[in-house]
Amino acid sequence: MGNNPEFRDLFPGALEMMILHSLRLKPMHGYALVKHIKQVSDNLLQIEEGSLYPALQRMLKEGWVQSKPGVSAKGRPTRIYVLTPAGRRRLEQEISSFDKMFAGITRVLATAKT
Amino acid sequence: MRWFKSIFSRRSQYDDLSLSIQEHLEEKIEDLVEEGMSRAEATNLARREFGNVTLIEERGREVWQWSPLENLAADLRFAWRQTAKSPRFTIAAVATLAIGMGAQATIYSVVHAVLIDPFPYLDALRMVHLHLYDKTPIPFDLAMTGPQFLEFQKLPVLDGAIAEDLFGRALTGEELPEQVQTARLSPDGFAFFGVPALLGREFGPGDNAHVAVLSYPFWKAHYAARSDIVGKTLQLDHENYTILGVLPQRFAWMGSDLYTPLSYSADPHRIANVYARLKVGVSDRTAEEAIGPMLAAFAKQTPDSFPPNFKVHLVHINELLVGRMRGVLILLSISVSFLLLLACANVAILLLARGEARQAEIALRKALGARPGRIVTQLLTESLLLSITGGICGVLLALAGIRLVRHFLVPLPGLFPPEANIALNLPVLLFGAVLSVFTGVACGIWPALRTARTDLRRAADAGSHKLAGRKGTHNSHIALLAGQAAITVLLLACSGATLQKLSQLMHANLGYDPHHLISANLVSLEGGHPTWGDRIHYFEQIRQAIALEPGVMSAAIAQAGMPPSSGSRMPVSVPGADSVGGEADQQRVDLNYFRTLKIPVLQGRVWSSTEVMNAAHLALINQAMQRRFWPHTDPIGKTVVMNRGVVPANVWTLVAPGIDQHFQIIGVVGDTPNQGLEEQIAPSVFVPYTAITYDWFNLIVRTEGEPTAALLHRIKERVHTIDAGQAVGDMVTADDMLEGDSLGREKFITSLFTAFALLGLMFGVSGLYCIESYLVTQRTRELGVRIALGAQRQHIVRLVTRSSLLAVFAGTAIGLALDLGLSGIFVRWTSGNPRDPGMLVVVLAVVLASAGLGSIVPAQLAAWIDPMEALRAE
Repeated sequence: MGNNPEFRDLFPGALEMMILHSLRLKPMHGYALVKHIKQVSDNLLQIEEGSLYPALQRMLKEGWVQSKPGVSAKGRPTRIYVLTPAGRRRLEQEISSFDKMFAGITRVLATAKT
Repeated sequence: MRWFKSIFSRRSQYDDLSLSIQEHLEEKIEDLVEEGMSRAEATNLARREFGNVTLIEERGREVWQWSPLENLAADLRFAWRQTAKSPRFTIAAVATLAIGMGAQATIYSVVHAVLIDPFPYLDALRMVHLHLYDKTPIPFDLAMTGPQFLEFQKLPVLDGAIAEDLFGRALTGEELPEQVQTARLSPDGFAFFGVPALLGREFGPGDNAHVAVLSYPFWKAHYAARSDIVGKTLQLDHENYTILGVLPQRFAWMGSDLYTPLSYSADPHRIANVYARLKVGVSDRTAEEAIGPMLAAFAKQTPDSFPPNFKVHLVHINELLVGRMRGVLILLSISVSFLLLLACANVAILLLARGEARQAEIALRKALGARPGRIVTQLLTESLLLSITGGICGVLLALAGIRLVRHFLVPLPGLFPPEANIALNLPVLLFGAVLSVFTGVACGIWPALRTARTDLRRAADAGSHKLAGRKGTHNSHIALLAGQAAITVLLLACSGATLQKLSQLMHANLGYDPHHLISANLVSLEGGHPTWGDRIHYFEQIRQAIALEPGVMSAAIAQAGMPPSSGSRMPVSVPGADSVGGEADQQRVDLNYFRTLKIPVLQGRVWSSTEVMNAAHLALINQAMQRRFWPHTDPIGKTVVMNRGVVPANVWTLVAPGIDQHFQIIGVVGDTPNQGLEEQIAPSVFVPYTAITYDWFNLIVRTEGEPTAALLHRIKERVHTIDAGQAVGDMVTADDMLEGDSLGREKFITSLFTAFALLGLMFGVSGLYCIESYLVTQRTRELGVRIALGAQRQHIVRLVTRSSLLAVFAGTAIGLALDLGLSGIFVRWTSGNPRDPGMLVVVLAVVLASAGLGSIVPAQLAAWIDPMEALRAE
């Protein structure tokens, strides 16, 4: 599974968390999501664009997002992804567990310095 | 439900996904074009940054699938098309696997019936018999009186116990009395066994003493399996018994014909044997410690039925009754696993060759984004399909194999416990299923891993570099071939050893003449002829009457059967001999024994008739005894002390007045086997049977010609005229007994080993043939070029066969080394010598000759390649 793109990002679930968070701001289609994440992260996070889609399919299956027919910025018909209430709860869980993990890592690193 | 719905909404999900991706790419391309890139550049960049579209779509779709199952279905469909496309390959692989698994399942059915689940009884694994040991290694059976048993039964370590008493009785009330084997069993004994009756019911504590339960074989043989038998009466020793029921076929405890209730008796002369079941979680050691003190107390009450200073030892009934076949069966299982291994290797060779031919396909799959794991799974599915088909055919073969084994066992009733039921039952089928899967993985995994390593470049190269095949594949072939050769040598060596042993046994010098010799067991009426003098005169009267029958040359009395059966093993000591102590086999016979069996008297003399009738303390010994105790001196006149030569009298056993343990040797007779045919002859001491007389004896009769049925019937009638209630047991000819006892067992083992070895050889040769033919077809062009350039035909033949034959040589050497290394195990578990040089030379010759034969066709194929055609073929 070494070259499986969805495991290339920081840690498992990170991509999902970012997608959920982006969709909370507003419903978007796939390309817009990629652009949004790249822009917001100042291109610091390199994500393979394609890896977005399997992740989206998983979230569709779990019921965290819904897809609706919509129109893109360029006026093309496309699929727009919308966060569901379940997705919102999931994002909150993810964020809180991420915060804990991050706090833990920070503390460990802080003690290592002194 | 969501899962159910998802199957139907899937198609639109897939379309949405493709659409989204398409839209994503187009939008990105447009963005890039707007940034000033050419459309072609933009398309390239967008695609590169997006990744493998097909792969991502597939990954996205997998989310919606229950992917393992759907992949499996797809793989199965594909595997089915593959196998249907190459029927020759499929038939070869399936047949090979079917033979391997069929043999394995057949042997497993025997192993399951004999070793794993031999007994139908409740918790049979916890059922034990009790042996008592004094200082010598020869055990005494534990036996106790009624009150002692009732106390013993209450021991907290036990989960039930039975007392039983086995003996032959006469089934009277018919034209001639017939001898039947009866067991008197504790009244609650059937509850102990926990096997319900087939017909009617079993007896319980509430029944009176005159009821009987019939065994299945007795019911079939004697009452033609009639179901109206329940409630009828039968007569044993002139007493009436009501038939309560019939036991199922597998209830064959101690091989008795019928079972009657035992009435407990406080009489120390009426002791009964004991079997018990341990409570769950009680170890043998704990039980022995708990039982010991109670038995010590019993020994104070009835010192005669216990040896001095004894220790209790538990023997589980499966050890007791399966004992000597365990090792052989384990060895057979190992051999048959080797056979299956050979079959697997053959199929692996075929799969490897096929994998090679499918390089282009595999490379294409990988280029399209298939993960190696996915390819391995798919290839494994193909080999699993083969192995499962093979397994199903194998089970059908096992059905035939089991019939064959059962057919073999008909004349060998003593080989396995009578309870063992060799059949194609659920456990055997389950075993077959597990085996199929295991085999599929075993033969498929290596070829699959190898094949999955192919990449596009290599596959493309393969077309132009078709020389000697890929190095790796070649090495795999060599390794498989060497392994096959090694296993074949091992199988052949096992078979050779058993064949040699069998031939030795068949040509063994028995020391007596088994032709025209019959033996029958006679049991006197219980309680009849109760005094010693009366009983021996009764026995002698019968013997004399039979000896005078026309057609009878002589008749003898013996307590043990004919050789190779053993008498009673007991410790002996010899005052003043070079070697003072040891064990000997005590045989109690009369003076006619040696003449009737034609055993030569080599030194000294036989007893006179008076000496036998007076139970004189005079003994004859065999040559083994002389070699052991008097290798350089004359044993005649010396004294031998039989340490268990005196036993306490009881209801059944009468002892000569004034008996002691000292016997003076008056003669030496020729050796006859006395521990079974395959064992070394033990020292033997022959004493007059009158010294200790049971209520039964064996009448051994030498007839003038073949013992005819008419003569046998006349003997029965003659006995009937002496005592109308006297039954005559089965009359067995010595030839049949030898066949059934030892030779039949060896023949059974030998034929199995030999069948496996021959199948193994066949597999080995076909493996070699496959590899060489494959190499030839692969190298056709190269060989064509060589021939065109003037290579000699013999050079070509050498080129094609060299590495395979080298592999066979190496494998043979490994097999030989393994055989020499492992022969100790073989010797411990069965008879025969797998390191015998003569036999090994034959094995090697067979292996090498077969390898040569297997190579002929491919070599010919190579030598007669037409260079023009070979070059045109590419």
